[in-house]
Amino acid sequence: MSKILSLLLASAALTAVVGVPAWSAMHLPQQGAAVTPMTAVLGSTDTAELLVLVDDDDDEDEDADGNVKRGTSNDDDDAEECDDDDRSCGAAAATQAAPAGTVAPPQNGLFDTGTPQVQVK
Amino acid sequence: MLKSLFAALAVTTALGFPAAAMAKPVTFTTTLKDYGGNGAYLAFYVTDKSGAYAGSLWMAGGKSKYYKHLANWYQATGGDRAQINGITGASVGSGRTLEVTLDLKDALFDAGYTLHVDASVEDRRDSPDDVKVPLTSAGAGTPVKGRRYVSTFTYGM
Repeated sequence: MSKILSLLLASAALTAVVGVPAWSAMHLPQQGAAVTPMTAVLGSTDTAELLVLVDDDDDEDEDADGNVKRGTSNDDDDAEECDDDDRSCGAAAATQAAPAGTVAPPQNGLFDTGTPQVQVK
Repeated sequence: MLKSLFAALAVTTALGFPAAAMAKPVTFTTTLKDYGGNGAYLAFYVTDKSGAYAGSLWMAGGKSKYYKHLANWYQATGGDRAQINGITGASVGSGRTLEVTLDLKDALFDAGYTLHVDASVEDRRDSPDDVKVPLTSAGAGTPVKGRRYVSTFTYGM
């Protein structure tokens, strides 16, 4: 008898754990805010008790001061790129600018005929 | 006698015209601060006396997906790779010195042109106009301090 009782208690607890979030998700507020309330189940209207999604920030390019940074996830969306810096990635290399020395500098009126020379120390 | 004088004058005039439009090698030396991060992307470009984009001189960094972080250059060019074909090299590491020698038209100097260097480092704040310096004969060889990633910048003729 006690076995049955414990089984019932365990299944009830499990149902509560799985069911409460599911029930709550079905009762999202109409304004479409990124807030998932428990009020539908618990009946509370106190906003301090609302559960809030941990990350709804779509400004991932910006730091705390609102300044733009390089190297965020948006940069990685570009499927045309290669991961190495040697521009030898087959078809993707065609989408990069031609490296110095492989073609003449652009005809923008600034350059003469010489080939650019570069070194990093 | 008069004929040969005219001929001599014609020859010297003909030789003089190309000389007036001559180019010279100009070396841009850019030393980065030891900021400790990944290699910096640097865009070197020129604006005319009205502030309009006149052309690019060098791009340090090969991945075009990062060019939008060179904000002012990108705004002026729309990221057009044709602007930097043949003048693109690798990004520059923290604390390193980039030396680029370009064969530039003399007309670029003492004519109101300004050289700009936009800089960007992965996971760090972008720095448009890290260097902004007028191109003059008098300014050649004089070190200029950068705003964020560039320690010193010099151009020499």
